[in-house]
Amino acid sequence: MTYDPSTTNGPEAALPASGPWPVRLTDVTVRYPNGSYGLRGVSVSVEPGEMVAVVGLSGSGKSTLVRTINGLVPVTSGEVEVGPYAVRQLRGRRLRQLRGSVGMIFQGFNLADRASVYDNVLVGRFSHMPTWRTMLGLATRDDRDAVMESLSSVGMLDKVWSRAGALSGGQKQRVAIARALSQQPRVMLADEPVASLDPPTAHAVMSDLRRINTERGLTVLVNLHLMDLARQYTTRMIGLRGGELVYDGPAASADDAVFEEIYGRPILPRDTLESS
Amino acid sequence: MSTELTVPSRPRTWPRTVLVALVVVAFTVVTVTPALGGIRIDLGAIERNWHFGAHRVGQMFHPDFSILPRTWKPLLETFEMAVVGTAVSAALALPLSMWAARPTNPHPVTRGVLRAVLNVNRAVPDLVYATILVAMIGVGALPGIVTLVLFDLGVVVKLVSEAVDSADASYMEAGQAAGGTQSQINRLTAAPQTWPAYASQVLYSLELNVRISAVLGLVGAGGIGRLIDEVRGFYRYGALAVIIGEILIVVILIEIVSNVLRKRLR
Repeated sequence: MTYDPSTTNGPEAALPASGPWPVRLTDVTVRYPNGSYGLRGVSVSVEPGEMVAVVGLSGSGKSTLVRTINGLVPVTSGEVEVGPYAVRQLRGRRLRQLRGSVGMIFQGFNLADRASVYDNVLVGRFSHMPTWRTMLGLATRDDRDAVMESLSSVGMLDKVWSRAGALSGGQKQRVAIARALSQQPRVMLADEPVASLDPPTAHAVMSDLRRINTERGLTVLVNLHLMDLARQYTTRMIGLRGGELVYDGPAASADDAVFEEIYGRPILPRDTLESS
Repeated sequence: MSTELTVPSRPRTWPRTVLVALVVVAFTVVTVTPALGGIRIDLGAIERNWHFGAHRVGQMFHPDFSILPRTWKPLLETFEMAVVGTAVSAALALPLSMWAARPTNPHPVTRGVLRAVLNVNRAVPDLVYATILVAMIGVGALPGIVTLVLFDLGVVVKLVSEAVDSADASYMEAGQAAGGTQSQINRLTAAPQTWPAYASQVLYSLELNVRISAVLGLVGAGGIGRLIDEVRGFYRYGALAVIIGEILIVVILIEIVSNVLRKRLR
């Protein structure tokens, strides 16, 4: 099946130009129920359309930080503002509305392997669909068009009726990106999106993310633990160590000394993709 | 072998194995020792009574095929009850399984209520359901079908919801991050992920239903069981053997079909 974007409801109708949103964290602390700290007093302000790398070792609070932005992790104190929303106050329907405007991709892809690629990408339309439509399997023309356009933009349209579990790792992550894009989001979050991929595939997925940032103008926050990927694909870098902000500046000028400060140890070969 | 491998010494597990075996044996001995509150097992009773039963078993080796024409209708009814009972319980079991499993229903109160109801449901023997339902609805296939549905729900919902509980559910986080309601996430992603466990249990419940519905007729809940009760009452053990043989054939046929279907699920 081929998808012709020039039909009546083309991608312009399916994916109207949506302005990116700013993200602002003010003195955010996250304390988990077991008493450990995810974040300690972190303040960050991301402008609309920026592409930011969040860098740190595992356990540094990267995952916690991006999950406070869509409310998957509740903050203990401080404020998280995303566009018009103050995330901390959100519950139920309003929280789902915010999440609908914030796309997210994951290290483990988080696809339903037994479901089709189509159904997996349709997950991105949840916040645009009334629940009864999902229950009855009655997606609208706009929903279908958004799914097809998103898959097309990551080069996965020919797999639309395949089972997600039958795809390779790189293909799965592309489908996961399509799922996030079909939300028509204002902000895109990525939690270690390439940590499960081989180097060529990792570069392809990072290029996709950068293209999303430049072509759609989306605000992008991407968690990485490899310094060369952060330097190569992002403009700004935030460094976390032990839940605290230890660096915030241009990614290009972050030299090895900066990374040693973020990692809290000398640079090792495994800290770059090329040599790991 | 030129190099000597330094293999770590193997941990000693046999004392533990012996201990576990001793505990199991001791427990079993206690359960059959009346002085310690166990059940009384009188092996001598076998010798004293053996010939009564042996005579009947002997009769069963002389099958009385004259009963055959009378068996077709109730046998078909038994089969139909099993199929209808399976279909109705299958339709109810999928949403109820989602309701009873933690990943698909994070609300602890509603989940706990359903699980408690299911526990009560499983505690009641199927013949008790059938007896009560015959009194409430009347003699026939309907109380039998309702009994089968109640029995199947207890089994299928328990096993499927436990499968959902133990399955990897990373796709849930993606559904939540996309702003989906729990129902949306369950419908589009959890349901296909649950499908193999669900279909397998539904096929198993179909097998069970043929066996159970053969007995339900004893209390008037339709099917071949009423005929079994009748020929047993007239000591026609040759005819009983024929009926049991027929049920066996139906059960084996259903097992063959469900095994074929189950292989295709993977």
